Amino acid sequence: MTASGNSGAGPGGSTAGEWAVELAGITKRFPGVVANSDIHLRVRTGEVHALCGENGAGKSTLMKILYGMQPPDEGTITVDGRQVRFRSPADAIRAGIGMVHQHFMLADNLTVAENVLLGAEASHGIGAKARARIQELAGTVGLRVDPGMLVERLGVADRQRLEILKVLYRGARTVILDEPTAVLVPQEVDDLFDTLRTMRADGYTFLFISHKLDEVRAIADTITVIRRGTTVGTADPKAVSSRQLAEMMVGSELPTPETRESTVTDREVLTVSQLSLAADDGGRHVLEDVSLVVHAGEVLGIAGVEGNGQTELVETIMGMRRGAHGTITLGGRDISHASTLHRREAGIGYVPEDRTRHGLLASQPLWANRILGHQSRPPIARGPLIDRAAARRDTERIVADFDVRTPGVDVHAAALSGGNQQKLVVGRELSGDPVLLIASHPTRGVDVGAQTGIWEELRQARARGLAVLLISADLDELIGLSDSIAVILRGRLVATADPSTVTPEELGTAMTGAGSGPNLAKEGS
Amino acid sequence: MVLLTAALASALVVSGCARDTGSSGGGTGGTGTDCTRNAAPAAGTGPASTAPAPAPADASALKVGLAYDIGGRGDASFNDAAATGLERAISQLGLQQGNTSETSAAPNESEDAAAGRLRQLVSGGFNPIIAVGFKYASAVKTVATENPAVKFGIVDDDTVTLPNVTPLVFAEEQGSFLVGAAAALKTTSCSVGFVGGVETPLIQKFQAGFEQGAKAVAPNVKVDVKYISPAGDFTGFNDPTKATEITKGQLDAGSDVIYHAAGASGQGVFQAVKAANKLAIGVDGDQYNSPQLTDVRDVIMTSMLKRVDVAVYDYINAVAAGDTSTLPKRFDLKVDGVGFSTSGGKVDDVKGDLDAYKNAIINGSVTVSSTPTS
Amino acid sequence: MTRVRTVLVAPALAVVFSALLCAVALLISGDSPLTALRVMITQVGQGTTAVDILNSAAIYYLVALAVAIGFQMKLFNIGVEGQYRLAACVAAIVGGTVPLPPVIRTIVIILVGALVGALWAAIPAVLRAYRGVSEVISTIMLNAVATGLIAFLIRPDTFGALSGNNITTPPIPESGHFPGLHLGSSGTIFGMILVVAALGTGYWFLLGRTRFGFELKASGESPSAATAGGVDARRMVLIALLMSGAVAGLAGLPELLGRDYAYTLTSPQGYGFTGIAIALLGRNHPVGIAIGALLWAFLDKSAVALDVVGVPREILLIMQGLIVLSVVVAYEIVRRYELAAEQRRVAAQLRALANAKAPSPEGVSS
Repeated sequence: MTASGNSGAGPGGSTAGEWAVELAGITKRFPGVVANSDIHLRVRTGEVHALCGENGAGKSTLMKILYGMQPPDEGTITVDGRQVRFRSPADAIRAGIGMVHQHFMLADNLTVAENVLLGAEASHGIGAKARARIQELAGTVGLRVDPGMLVERLGVADRQRLEILKVLYRGARTVILDEPTAVLVPQEVDDLFDTLRTMRADGYTFLFISHKLDEVRAIADTITVIRRGTTVGTADPKAVSSRQLAEMMVGSELPTPETRESTVTDREVLTVSQLSLAADDGGRHVLEDVSLVVHAGEVLGIAGVEGNGQTELVETIMGMRRGAHGTITLGGRDISHASTLHRREAGIGYVPEDRTRHGLLASQPLWANRILGHQSRPPIARGPLIDRAAARRDTERIVADFDVRTPGVDVHAAALSGGNQQKLVVGRELSGDPVLLIASHPTRGVDVGAQTGIWEELRQARARGLAVLLISADLDELIGLSDSIAVILRGRLVATADPSTVTPEELGTAMTGAGSGPNLAKEGS
Repeated sequence: MVLLTAALASALVVSGCARDTGSSGGGTGGTGTDCTRNAAPAAGTGPASTAPAPAPADASALKVGLAYDIGGRGDASFNDAAATGLERAISQLGLQQGNTSETSAAPNESEDAAAGRLRQLVSGGFNPIIAVGFKYASAVKTVATENPAVKFGIVDDDTVTLPNVTPLVFAEEQGSFLVGAAAALKTTSCSVGFVGGVETPLIQKFQAGFEQGAKAVAPNVKVDVKYISPAGDFTGFNDPTKATEITKGQLDAGSDVIYHAAGASGQGVFQAVKAANKLAIGVDGDQYNSPQLTDVRDVIMTSMLKRVDVAVYDYINAVAAGDTSTLPKRFDLKVDGVGFSTSGGKVDDVKGDLDAYKNAIINGSVTVSSTPTS
Repeated sequence: MTRVRTVLVAPALAVVFSALLCAVALLISGDSPLTALRVMITQVGQGTTAVDILNSAAIYYLVALAVAIGFQMKLFNIGVEGQYRLAACVAAIVGGTVPLPPVIRTIVIILVGALVGALWAAIPAVLRAYRGVSEVISTIMLNAVATGLIAFLIRPDTFGALSGNNITTPPIPESGHFPGLHLGSSGTIFGMILVVAALGTGYWFLLGRTRFGFELKASGESPSAATAGGVDARRMVLIALLMSGAVAGLAGLPELLGRDYAYTLTSPQGYGFTGIAIALLGRNHPVGIAIGALLWAFLDKSAVALDVVGVPREILLIMQGLIVLSVVVAYEIVRRYELAAEQRRVAAQLRALANAKAPSPEGVSS
């Protein structure tokens, strides 16, 4: 590993001086937990440059600065040898920098071509010239669909290519890709990388933001690692292992998400049978004939590409979505028609996939957040009254036991970093001795330190006999933590897998419905 | 609770019906059909003998406070009429400009604001104090009880029976009767319209007189009655746009003379009438001569005069003379407290008939009810 | 300390800022701001003004409380206007017609007021909870319907009676009055102020100490998080709007039971909208609303005093508008500032903590 000071003398040794982007001494004092301080980053023209760091290390802030969304407090940005000052993304686009956000910004009800043209009518008009240019760029980014097709019919991978096409159409030569692989299954990741390599040969430059280290090593020419808001060094992907990279990012030994000995019992805690749910618009089913059992001491993992019914499954089990057919029993009791609160009182803990939307009250203090979901149960509730002192005491317990980094329980939830917010949520949901924990992406957007802590808590709770329904997009996490895995595709459980033998690639295949591998069993067969 | 719900629900239904009957206004004569006119009463055609004006007294020692209703000075309506009376007192009774104070009500204000305003005038040493508008009734009652030495006059209200409170009320129905008669004499479609600002008892007096006057002349005349807003919603006095809409509807339905008692909304009535080139009747003051209405004056054939200015002037005069008992109990036709205007000359041809009705009302051979028949 | 600063600094600055702007407006229109200020201050000591301010503030407190209960849930109850007027009208009719013994009569009138307010609010509540109809639209409509309904109820041929040019409900007899505190020439403080104070305390307790209050706040802050936490959003909408309506239904009663004893054509209107402004000013906080209500009442009475000395009363309308506007802006600025400051503080404390544990975190890596 070459942790070689600040500005990276990159590998490859191509013609020097050809820097597409140079960031020097970038400092951003930001009302957050991590700001940027004295960041140095040089991206060679025509390379894929990966930017690695934990969540909250300052990657997003840095990219927002480069894309003109925020001005830096100090430091300079140089593009193609010219020093620039961006006041808005429009300035950045004019300088040839484009950004593909993690969350796509497409209009579903417009066509592919319309999405590209929207807001860029000035460059080539909206007529034949524009269409020709779109066709040409579609070839470049590998988008093989009719430009007249509605975006809502596009798959995730094609949407991503469309996003890249959009920035190219606006004249970008340098493209920032923010966590582009987070939404893709392994095969799609490979396809994307092929496209990036082709485009690199055409002279495009990429800034690739990721924390998936294997992928970074597969695609990047140069890797810059940032930690706690500053660059800690650059590395040659050919010379460094994922583990070394991760240690650069975290600054300590890395954990693995493996559960050791099995604690599975034969006591059924959650039984879901023949669960079906129609979409909100009454059309097709978003859940169809889903049956599953989670035993005490068992972690059942649900694998699937996002949007295949995981969210609906979880929210139906929680009672947040109504109108489902089928039965849900908890510890032998039919809870199919119980309210969310009754289900919680019956012993379900719930770590929602989006903690800011479903898990926390951002402008309330931590102790008030402790009450949420427990407002009817001791130690918080005394009849219709809330015992504030008890809520505070129990919040302090969570803060201590789950290592929530906070100066106290009176700060607002919004003041904590994502990882600490998540630890608070997990701690709360494990309070009150639940019999079942539904954990949706429990470590998403959480730094490695918090990730380890949360995994450890899940393992301990499992050992105490907790049943866990785990939904995760991180296949390593899923395989590492689960006692058994079910694959969900278009609202149906299509396969089961044994985590001790299955590989991420096999799971990925099953998730796209492309077939089954030797370690997968077709559901219902 | 069930009972109450039922009561509310039925009330909703009934109120809808009630509104309907209010707007149809009775009248069976179809447009253009049998529109025979009765002859004017034989009570004589010359100008009626009216009460002699009281002699001017010396008001130079008085300090007069005026509390206007919402809108205050400049409303082109009865607040302005009151102001005119005050100005006449200044020019003719020797009242000192510096010894007067004028203040006005805010929209939707509470009772204590009205009382507070009167108390402020009392503490400023003003005596008499004239409250313009019946909204001051309970405030006047309260403050007059507290200050028995201060004299109060209140326009449009006669419910306060205290020795130091003088009611200044009008026979609006009598004046409206005359313009109703004029409308019936002038209509060619045998259909006339009434636009009331807010459906309150006060405005219903205008409606009642207008209907009776029209029917007295032409029993088959159709009177199309519409109100801009229901009782309690005083926006109807200040909504010219809605007034225009309503008037257009009446004109489309065949009415060709429209009488309004709608305060500032009257402008909207005049505009709609002007656009259709029909006739309109103003209210309160001589609106033909109103500076705000010069562009629509040619459709204003007459105005029902409600002489708040006379009442205010006479009241100040009576206080200056030391005897308010000489004031009329009601400012009616007899004392020229109400009447009709002739500016513009559009009613000159029927003035004889109108004077005949006026005399008949004064001598009692015609009585005008103050509530609508419908 | 932080909370106190957030709550007090913003409105204080806003009031000062608005006053300065109004002073400029006065100077431009040729009036002396100092005279205006002197009149505004001295009027408080004159006659019944002080008591009037207190009485008006009590009414404003009720309407603002009604609005605030909705605001807690992010529900915009514009219908407070119609709710309190209809409730006052029906309560006046019941109080003036149904023969009941003293005390019980007063209590029945108050209960009828609350009930009618709640029932009138139940319509938008049900529409919102079960049909998703925006409560803003439905309450605006119902305000108009309430006006028509009141006009019908107090017609002389239904429950009303003619009194000069006014129409009034049958007067409530002595046995139905809510006795006030007589202060001689300084006026009479409404006895209902005690009820208002009790409601304010109840609101504070409900909000901070009860499960219901927590669920209310949680639903308002994040409906999705509240739902995930087992709060029944539909039930909360219903209860919040019904409670809002019930409190609104009381707002017409201090005047009805303490001074006017009848509902008339000229009974005051517009309190509902004042309530929205005061709830914004007071930030839905029971004490904040009280201060806002007092300030508002003071400005209202000042308008009367200023008008008498010839200063245009519109200046106070401008001032009220400016205060609301600048308070809302100031709150937002202070809130963001406080949040940023807190995040910095948390980060700083954590950094200090981390440095204390591991003097050189960088040293561990690579």
